[in-house]
Amino acid sequence: MSDGQRSPTTGSGQIVVSGLTKQYKNVRAVDNLSFTVEPGRVTGFLGPNGAGKTTTLRMLLNLVTPTGGTATIGGQRYADLTDPLRHVGAVLEASSAHKGRTGINHLRVICAAAGLPKSRADEALALVGLTPAAKRKFKGYSLGMKQRLGIAAAMLGDPRVLILDEPANGLDPEGIRWMRGFLKGLAHEGRTVLVSSHLLSEMQLLADDVVIIAAGKLVRQGPVEQVLGSMAQGGGRVRVRTPQADELVAALRAQSATVETGEHGVLLVTGADAPAIGKAALAAGVELHELTPERPDLERVFLELTAGKAGIR
Amino acid sequence: MNLVRSELLKIRTTNTWWVFGLISLPLWALTALINWLQTDALASGNFGDVPADQADQVTAAQSVDSLAANIYTNGQFFGLLIVMLLGIIVVTSEFFHQTVTTTFLTVPHRTAVMTAKLVAAAVLAMLFWLVTTGLNLVLGVLVLNSVDLGSQLGNGAVWTATALNALAYLLWSVLGVGIGVLIRSQIGATVTGILLYLGGSIGAAIAISILAARWGEWINNLQVLVPSLASSLMVSGTQIPGNPPRWTGAAVLIGYAVVTGVIGTLTMRRRDIS
Repeated sequence: MSDGQRSPTTGSGQIVVSGLTKQYKNVRAVDNLSFTVEPGRVTGFLGPNGAGKTTTLRMLLNLVTPTGGTATIGGQRYADLTDPLRHVGAVLEASSAHKGRTGINHLRVICAAAGLPKSRADEALALVGLTPAAKRKFKGYSLGMKQRLGIAAAMLGDPRVLILDEPANGLDPEGIRWMRGFLKGLAHEGRTVLVSSHLLSEMQLLADDVVIIAAGKLVRQGPVEQVLGSMAQGGGRVRVRTPQADELVAALRAQSATVETGEHGVLLVTGADAPAIGKAALAAGVELHELTPERPDLERVFLELTAGKAGIR
Repeated sequence: MNLVRSELLKIRTTNTWWVFGLISLPLWALTALINWLQTDALASGNFGDVPADQADQVTAAQSVDSLAANIYTNGQFFGLLIVMLLGIIVVTSEFFHQTVTTTFLTVPHRTAVMTAKLVAAAVLAMLFWLVTTGLNLVLGVLVLNSVDLGSQLGNGAVWTATALNALAYLLWSVLGVGIGVLIRSQIGATVTGILLYLGGSIGAAIAISILAARWGEWINNLQVLVPSLASSLMVSGTQIPGNPPRWTGAAVLIGYAVVTGVIGTLTMRRRDIS
């Protein structure tokens, strides 16, 4: 299944959320939310705690009934999918198996209900590297193993769409690295991968696209680079270090760039990119010790975008 | 069919079934002992003076049909409790272990899932009935022969009682599933179920006899509305004078099972799983 030779299944794996709304008694958990998720890419679903991520995913999966709007996977509502596990795999909570049941039996129960051959349970377990713990009871699993078992369950039907709610929660760095490689691999095979998280630094390493929500509303959607680029603040700034600061500042100002002086004599240049600065330095005969374009990081963008819309409502 | 298989696998892959089986055995043995003593006493007619107004009941209970039916349905009192608790666990363990999310992701058609649970609980109930009845056939032959009544295995009343006993097991397991849906908390549902079964019958019997003393004898007939009393009426081997007809017990119990089963399924269809 992870051999990359996957034949394209009928229908696309596109997820379309349109006008989705969930009104609880006093809270509008999700408010007229619309976005799309494309196949072949990892999409990060971001928002502060309480932003409505989990509710949105649960509506997408027919676990929670929307107050309004629709959510479809490959053009169909989850409830209308025949053999849903062959289309969509979902990992919603790590602790969702009977404590007294072994890992392999947990998967066999699902196989039986989904009409999948029992052998899929062994294959899925091998896929996530849990074969040695197959006959251990779930209560003896570490958090990372539980998370892997959840992924194994999601992979039973070899689905073209993967949906994961906070999969990095409680994982150690090694587990997170494994998860990242695994999900990227799946997207590379052409599958749709939607991952919710509040861990932004992780998303920056993992996601191709991001959907950012706050207080149940869409804040921003697009490729990571584009969302970062749209935030001019902090973007395009270059750190420069040189023993001949005065000459370089003069040369750069001549090109109408703005130069500020940071701590330890670092120059922070805006209005000229790294190649332009390098060229100016060469022309002026200035020696450079550092030339680093500052990447605006997702975390800062995220905080700015969701400022004042925190989860406490 | 896949779903029922999955539900049965869920039970088989945890220790629930054998724990309940282990609990059932000593309880069966206990009721076996009681019923043996009772049969012995009734058959020998050796239990002192009987108040005149109860003479009819005692005579009925002393009948061969009644004695045989009673011994061949031995273990019912706790057996029904056990299958009801199993029915409860079939549902509540999904919430207790948060597996209900996976279950409904695998099969979004919740009516189908609930139907599978009802069928699985019924299958379990039938297994318990089968084992109990097997044991009872041995016990019954021994006890009835010991009081010189013969095995009575050719007696139609025995087989009617055995079949009605099966129906009781079936209905109580369905009731259990219904209770489990309505009260998701495993402990809450279990306690409610036990109270309904044990406390319910005792409390209701007391309440009804008090009411009967005040408003008249007819109120005694309302006893049949109490689930556990309805089921014991249904499986009583013979028509005891002064009791409502046996079929009312069956009707009431089927009514409860259908109502809890349907309400349970409808509730589950609408519920947000979060």
